[in-house]
Amino acid sequence: MPSFAEALRVLNDMKDAGVVEDYAVAGAMAMMFWAEPIPTYDLDVLVLLPGDDAAIVSLAPLYEWAAKRGYAARAEHVLIEGVPVQFLPAHNSLAEEAVDRAATVEYEGVPVRVVRPEYLAALYLEPGARTLKRRERAAALMESTALDRAALEALLNRFDLKF
Amino acid sequence: MAAPARKRPRASPELLEALRAGKAALRRQRERLALREKVRILLELQRLCMPLIARHRPLAEWERPWEITP
Repeated sequence: MPSFAEALRVLNDMKDAGVVEDYAVAGAMAMMFWAEPIPTYDLDVLVLLPGDDAAIVSLAPLYEWAAKRGYAARAEHVLIEGVPVQFLPAHNSLAEEAVDRAATVEYEGVPVRVVRPEYLAALYLEPGARTLKRRERAAALMESTALDRAALEALLNRFDLKF
Repeated sequence: MAAPARKRPRASPELLEALRAGKAALRRQRERLALREKVRILLELQRLCMPLIARHRPLAEWERPWEITP
């Protein structure tokens, strides 16, 4: 049976191969790094794709790279070592910054890039994504000792977001 | 006509505060668990939650407990 660390290792391989410029684990799995574990069935990964801003965003090269290694894409997920992974190209400057400033955390000897709790909360509070569930997650992060309240306030102000 | 309200013993504000503080302490303790232990809990949660979610809505193809080790 594969291990979670093996799935994480593939994310690093993807970056080393240049398929993505950088990545950071986001969503409920990122929350697990900073707060209590909550149930989820997929691993969200924010990615910065190579190329300039004139390039058309396509996940096709990433899916092809994964397919060559036996990781099939189905229903917008790629099954990597038993973990359904959803790759989300960064959609704005907040998401890009979240990847750029991600923390590198070690999981069973594998370094993994994880969106910091302040950025995670800010992403949950984006207007297009403010569902009750996401606001609840932002609230849970705000109670976490890992979150820097002043840094979050600054981010919310800078990106014109509010709780 | 409604029955007259029965006087029941109620939790004092002090007791409620102590219970809430206990819950917050438990949450902080779970936050500090080793990552491997958190993943083990997640895998357990996935198995526990799946039948409950399935009662409310159809599951997506990928919504299955992960067949992995922590």
